[in-house]
Amino acid sequence: MGIPTVGAAGANVVNYARGYDFEYTNGMPIRYVGFPFPVAGQPKSVHHSYVFERNDVVTDKPMMQAIIEAFTAPLTDKEKISGRPPEAKVEPRLLQPMTEDQVQQFFKDNDWTDYNPIIPPTEERVAAMLKGTSLPADKEVKKLNWPGGDRSMTVEKVAVCAVMAGAKPEMFPLILATSMSVPFGNSTSSMANMILVNGPVRNEVKMNSKGNVMGPHNEVNAVLGRTFTLLSKTAGNLHAGKTTFSALGSNIQYNNLTIAENEEDLPAGWEPTHVLKGFKATDSVVTVGTGWTYISSVGEVQRQYPPQFLIRDYMRSLTGMGATVIVTPEVAALLHDAPNSFATKRDLSRWLAENVQKTVSSYWGNGVVSTMNASLAIQGMEPLASQYKLIETNPEELIKPFQAGQVNIVVTGKGQTTWFVTDFGVGRGTKVDDYK
Amino acid sequence: MKKKLLLCCAVIVATALALAGLVPLTAQKKDAAKPLITVLNPAIESKMVDRIPLSPRLDTLDGKTIYLVDINWGGPDAAYSVFEEIKAWFAQNNPSVNIVIKRKAGMYTMDDPALWKEIKEKGGDAALIGISG
Repeated sequence: MGIPTVGAAGANVVNYARGYDFEYTNGMPIRYVGFPFPVAGQPKSVHHSYVFERNDVVTDKPMMQAIIEAFTAPLTDKEKISGRPPEAKVEPRLLQPMTEDQVQQFFKDNDWTDYNPIIPPTEERVAAMLKGTSLPADKEVKKLNWPGGDRSMTVEKVAVCAVMAGAKPEMFPLILATSMSVPFGNSTSSMANMILVNGPVRNEVKMNSKGNVMGPHNEVNAVLGRTFTLLSKTAGNLHAGKTTFSALGSNIQYNNLTIAENEEDLPAGWEPTHVLKGFKATDSVVTVGTGWTYISSVGEVQRQYPPQFLIRDYMRSLTGMGATVIVTPEVAALLHDAPNSFATKRDLSRWLAENVQKTVSSYWGNGVVSTMNASLAIQGMEPLASQYKLIETNPEELIKPFQAGQVNIVVTGKGQTTWFVTDFGVGRGTKVDDYK
Repeated sequence: MKKKLLLCCAVIVATALALAGLVPLTAQKKDAAKPLITVLNPAIESKMVDRIPLSPRLDTLDGKTIYLVDINWGGPDAAYSVFEEIKAWFAQNNPSVNIVIKRKAGMYTMDDPALWKEIKEKGGDAALIGISG
């Protein structure tokens, strides 16, 4: 704008804004004032005290003094610099020779692991992993620019993390396809990811889609999810306190809810998820979704309460930003057959979108919903605009937070009538064969 | 003196045993005996962006127009009253400052060129933009 501008941030992100964001994203040494945390959603009396009584967390001066000085104090030499920045730290392809114990410690010291032991990525092991694909080692798979840094993730870098996680070469095309969605969700909330695998590759690499599928009972399910985490931390450069800010984090980030759909036991008329997204049934596809939460049915379906009713009840606790319902084939059969008679997954999605309701205040009372949707509502986008107006006039009115297209149904596991509801959206899938 | 002598004897005996192969050398030089391996670096260089200097600061805020821009983090009402409190502070302490509060269009990650243009065209002298976190 060409006028003095000052940024304002909560204490939880101001260091990131003044450090990493400055160096790798915007290049401007913006002056920030830091408000005590929390800011969002606090009553006016708290905001009054922040402005009139509290200190700026950056300078430790009274808040208004800090704001005035940020507008009026002459620029320092550092604030006048323009043009090319200092050279970034060089990352050599090979690290200096170490004992295996030292490698384990060195990788932990650099926050390159999930703090479980890794397989040291020797040249021999990485070369063996690269034999799992025809793609050249130096081919760029993806340019990673979140949270800034413009990093070039090559096939070899993915192979390094695949080795570290314990993968075998035959898994590598699937891992490469999954790496297209690196890094994992990163926000002040406890964002996480879900990795869903469809098509022939599930059986080719021997994923588990037929029993205890979300537990630690299969090598490929475990290693694929772990590789995604290691890539997110290394190629993605996500490190606590430096580029991630979540207070609670998410245990899901250890394995990223890695599942394969049980396509063999789908009821007639229920298509695999990748087919519903436009792929052929014979395509092998990995789909990575973003969300926060999953809730177990805990017990099995009871005769007096059809499964769609309890799924609906549980979905009321979700934000309405997206949903994936994960059911066993047995639950799918109950939903498909009379008297419930959902002939397709889409029929069930439509029914859930029509029948899941929550109050206006509960819907807009969620910080992520307000952050993402309120500005759209103010701009007049329906039905958000009408729902937003109800905050003042009728906060207890029931609204339908989901659109049918937001509700995904995945069938996996086998042997019980249990299910999960999750708030994971299902993104665009990636074909695994493109990485063979 | 007696203790020193005993310690010295113990070291001599241990060294002799080690040389005779009766005590593993690895017990004495644990790390040095382990093979060294060379591994690939999983990290990728991050590129810094070009530096952009700040706009010159104002000599004083007296008589100036300051825009307070809410980026809608947490929703349009989550932090709006912080800006109202800042406006109230200026009304009490320096009423010559003209405060204009605006909400940025779209969610916090979206650019709003129309607002930046408006601030410039309407004579905004400075802007405070926030509040994330």
